[in-house]
Formats: sequence, C-alpha cells, structure tokens
Amino acid sequence: MSYLDVLKNAEDMVSPGISACQGCGGELILRRVLQIAGPNTIVGVPPGCMAGAGVVGWNYQNGMKIPVHIPLLTNIASFLTGVSQMYERKGRLDVNVVAVAGDGGTADAGFQALSAAAERDEKMLYVCYDNEGYMNTGYQRSSTTSLGSRTSTTPIGDVINGKRQHQKYVPLILAMHECSYVATVSPSDMPDMIRKIEKGLEASKKGFAYIHAFSPCPTGWSYKEDMGIEVAGQAVRSNLFPLWERDEEGFRLKKNPSPISVREFVEGIGKFRTLTEKDKDALQELADRRYATVAALAGMAE
Amino acid sequence: MGEIKVLTGNYAASEAAALCRPDLVAAYPITPQSSVAEKLAEFAATGRIDSNIVQVEGEHSAMSVVQGAAAAGGRVFTATAAQGLAFMYEPYFRMSTLRLPMVMAISTREMTSPETVWSGQQDAISVREAGWIQVYCDSNQEILDMVIQGYRIAEHPDVLIPVNVCYDGFYSSHLTEGVDVPTQKEIDEFLPAPSFDHAALDPKDPFSLDPMTPGPLLMKYRKDHLEAMTGAEDIIEEIDREFAEKFGRSYGGMIEEYRTEDADVVIITIAGMTGTGKDAVDIARNKGIRAGLIKLRFIRPFPAKKIRKALEGKKAFCVIDRSVSFGWSEGPNHTEVKAALGDATETYAHFSAIGGLGGADISLKDIHGTIERLEAVKDEPGEKEVMWYMEED
Repeated sequence: MSYLDVLKNAEDMVSPGISACQGCGGELILRRVLQIAGPNTIVGVPPGCMAGAGVVGWNYQNGMKIPVHIPLLTNIASFLTGVSQMYERKGRLDVNVVAVAGDGGTADAGFQALSAAAERDEKMLYVCYDNEGYMNTGYQRSSTTSLGSRTSTTPIGDVINGKRQHQKYVPLILAMHECSYVATVSPSDMPDMIRKIEKGLEASKKGFAYIHAFSPCPTGWSYKEDMGIEVAGQAVRSNLFPLWERDEEGFRLKKNPSPISVREFVEGIGKFRTLTEKDKDALQELADRRYATVAALAGMAE
Repeated sequence: MGEIKVLTGNYAASEAAALCRPDLVAAYPITPQSSVAEKLAEFAATGRIDSNIVQVEGEHSAMSVVQGAAAAGGRVFTATAAQGLAFMYEPYFRMSTLRLPMVMAISTREMTSPETVWSGQQDAISVREAGWIQVYCDSNQEILDMVIQGYRIAEHPDVLIPVNVCYDGFYSSHLTEGVDVPTQKEIDEFLPAPSFDHAALDPKDPFSLDPMTPGPLLMKYRKDHLEAMTGAEDIIEEIDREFAEKFGRSYGGMIEEYRTEDADVVIITIAGMTGTGKDAVDIARNKGIRAGLIKLRFIRPFPAKKIRKALEGKKAFCVIDRSVSFGWSEGPNHTEVKAALGDATETYAHFSAIGGLGGADISLKDIHGTIERLEAVKDEPGEKEVMWYMEED
C-alpha cells in the first residue's frame, strides 16, 4: 500500500487542538508515528516540546486517544520497560509500547536509561524527535546541538560564538548496542519514514527498536514556519543527516542522489547565522565523515 | 506451618518477597543490599519464583522499571541502600505520588561523605518526606514479616502508598538468625493477588496518567495522600492483629513498648539497637531504675498519638537516633517525638542521643549510660545536651 493510503486510512491519535508551534517538526513526527501505531498503543512522552504542547493532557483534558504518560525526563526507556514486560506477562504482546522523546530526554538526561533498555533489547519502539536542543524551555543547548548553533545557553558573543562542540551522533551509538532495529528518518522523506515506523513497530515485538527523526524547529532555529520540510530535506541532502537503517541483516544507507554542501544547508537558518568559515569547514568535514562511515558500514564504500 | 531457616536479614527480605509472588523485580547491586537482588535472581533462575527480573543499570532505572510495571497493574519489588536510594530519589518520589503500591527493602547505610559503606539510617531518614510509608525492623523475622505485611498495607484500597521496609545494614542485613518462614499456601491466604487499577495504562481504557495538573487539583491530591497516610495507622494496627492471629507474631503496630507500664525513664529506639536497648533496660531494672523502652516501628506515618500515650506519666525520655538532623543539631526522631508531645514536652526531662553512624557500634554500655543519665535528671524537666556515643579522643 502506498504511504499516502496508509496515512489516509489511519486515525490520528493526537487531539487536533494541541499547542505546538506553527510548523513544528516534532508534532508532525508524533502524529505520524501514532497514526501508524494505532489505538492499541501505550505511549510515553517525557517532558519536552510534545509534553509541553499538551499531548500528555492538561487542564482536565486529554491530548490523546490512547493511554499516555509523561514520565520523568530521565526514565522513559526504563518506565516503558516495566510496562512492556508486564504486557508480555499478560500475554498481550499485541499492545504497542512506544516512546516519543526529544533529544534532551534521549541523548542527555535520558541517555543512561535508553542505553540500558537498548542493551537489554526491551520490546518497545523508541522515537527521538531531534530538534537539536531544549526547545520547550527556551532553546538551550543539548548534546545533539550542532557546532556553531546559537542557543540560549550558547549565545553569540565576541568571545564565544555559539556551540563549540559537534553534535553527538546518537543513532549510530544506538546501533552499536546490537538492539533489534535502528533507523534515521526525516519528515522530508515520508515514504521512507512511514516504512521505517512500520518496521520499527514490527521489530518492537522482538526487541528494542530505535528511530532517530530529524525534527526541524522554526521557533528555535529561526526560519520561516512553512520551510520545515525543505530544511529537513536539505539536511538529508547535505549528508549531515543521512537516512539509514540497521536490522538483523545489517546496515542499509539510502543513497543521496543530489548532495549539496553544508554551506547550502545552513543558508537562511537563523541559528547558523554567525557560523565562521572555519565552523562551516568543520561541519562539512563532519558531514563527509558521517556519510562515509555509514556508507562503509552499509558496504557501500567507494 | 512454616519452617525455621537460618537467614541473614537480606535473605529474609528475599524469601518474603518471593512468597509475595511479585510480577517483576528490578534491582541494582549496592552494599549492603546486593544479596537481596542476588537471591531473587537465583530464585528466578531456578524456577522457584515466576517473576520477571530486570537487570537494570542503576537504581534510578530500578525504581523506574518497577513504576512502569506497577502502572500496568503488576506487583513489584526492589531493594536498595544509601547512594542507591539517593540516586533513585526522582522516581522514588513519583512512585508514592502516583499512589502506586509496592514494597522496597532498604538495608540502611550512612550517606557519603566521608566515604563509607557501613550502617546508619541517614539514607532512609533523609527521604521520609517523600510520601512513602516507612517501617524499621530489629530482627530478621520482623524483616520477613514486614515485607509480607507491607504489601497488604500498600495495596489496601484506603492506603495505596508504597512501603519501605528498613533494617540496619550489616548488623541485620548480613547477620543470621533463625527465621520462621511461612508456607506459600499460608501467604496466599493472607495476601491476595493485587487488584489496584487506579493508574493502569491500558488501551482498552485509555486515559492520561498524570497530565499537567493545575494547583488547586494538585492540592487535592496532596491532601488525599496525607489523609491516606494518617488513615494508614489504623490499617497497620489491623493488619498486625490479623497477622498475629494467623502466624502468632505481633509487633504492636506503630510502636512496640517494653516495660513502660511503671517506668519513670524511657529510651526510644529504632531498628536493630532495640535488642541492646531491652537488655540495658533489664540491667537498669535490676539496679532499681524504673526504665522502659519504646521502639519506633513506623515513622511515616509518625505514631504521634501512640508516643504521647506511651509517655504519659513518665518523667524522662531519650530518643536514640542512628542519623542526624542537619539544622537541628540532634537526632531527627528526637525532633519528631518533641513535635508529637507538643506543649507537654517541657514537662519531661529529655535529650537526644546519637550513635552508630558509619557502622559504629551502639553498645550496651552506651545505652546503659543513657539510662543512668535519664535517672539522674528525671526530676529536672527540660531539654538537656545531646549525648553522642563517641569514643573519647
């Protein structure tokens, strides 16, 4: 079935009235993931943009049509381990156990629990919507914020110019856990994203499935609200965000038929406004290295 | 009829947890608790229990995993100590405020620094405002019995508050005693399968567990929690009586009293020091001092009414703490006993004694010295200087 038919026939599990920013990548990812997961799902959404947007419920109202819990920022993978194991005990493995977490709850404060759950290969689908910072609390730096980015804790100054370190490449770290499934997705490639969500849900019946989603953020990154899909697409084309997956058969990288330079990608995005030439060179080197690494893992090395 | 087994305190906790048929156990090794988790893993490996054992990467996750399982309706167990308890504080607080029932054993240990792995109650005492029920045990039999009773208390529909079963690290956790271990059948009769479902995540009945909650409603949750905690006092006493009927062992509920009836001076103890305290009382009695003892069993809820009644007509008391209250410069239970007595405090001669930190012994000589001091000051109401059980420099 075409992904369009899949989405057309799948019910939206999230209330239409949530308060995410216009053009939010996270909301788009959340809705698609839960559309595919469907009503027989328990979802955990730790503190972050999506929780802040009200999908975990607020003011006496629910934000979902399915059971939802806002765990701690630090423990979503552990909390859902308990839920998942109890459901397996009850003989109800048909229930999908899904986490939808930001990069703070994934790569920083929640990383220990995530790493442990991946290592134990707990049966769940964990989706990280990576908007490269603590956007819900006012755009602070995270470990997935890319080099040179302006955030409210890595501001632009005469002495220090934005974040001084490269982002941590979480999906590859997760793949090294030898868990059941790992993939990267971007809302700019919806057929690929839907396929990988379906695959991730299937894998979550056998073990830990991790999907790392590029989540463009107009509010934190400063670009026009209707440019999100284009920004995400440019990130993929720049090779800063290659689309790949790793399952029991190994790594597969989606070929990038029309690569662009990192310089083209960062153009017009406010958070990169003060990148120096040196920063741009460093980001280009990172993109080249990242793509080459994944290509080599996928047996596609030159 | 059960069987008498020679068990350490930790193994008593494991045996009891096993008898309670937990759906899931998640624990992380830490001295002096580790053998609780090891023994339960062994029980699962040999098929003696049908429980999921989750080998987590730290105590924060231990409490988080059991929280998830309890939110799916499971009966869960974990155990910890000291730094491990501190590390799990975040989900620990949430367990009680979600009103999810469970039992967690704490093999109590002094908090670092200075670096230590030995006994002390600073860990458990420091989290007594986190909404859990806490009971402190002084024998391995009591540990076993209270883990079992703990589930009855925690899962009682009018309580729904998790329970800490605390006992002295090493002194209780690692020393053996004969323990009467009930049969599985007896426990199954005493402890039915869990039936709480107020927080059950289930697609068949979707709801938001813990949405963003406005202040006025949050206040209602807090008030309910406090009232359930207070109400738990009667339920604890009821369950103690029911347990006594079935198993022939009663612990007196909230507190235990020893030779207090005609006492002038009373020492108030907690956990393992109690046995030494009772011996000290006997020796003092032989010398003509009318001494008695109150053992604090539950400190959350705090047995204020029971303490007031037990101290009625007495002249002097000393609360012996195995932990300190930073900011009060005395033992925390001394502060709480004074709060329980209110205005009546000044009618007593009283003082705080502190000892046994970091594994230091609380000796018969220490407690006897306390009783003699109480006898000496019993007719001079008012608070006296804190007594530290320390070796002379």
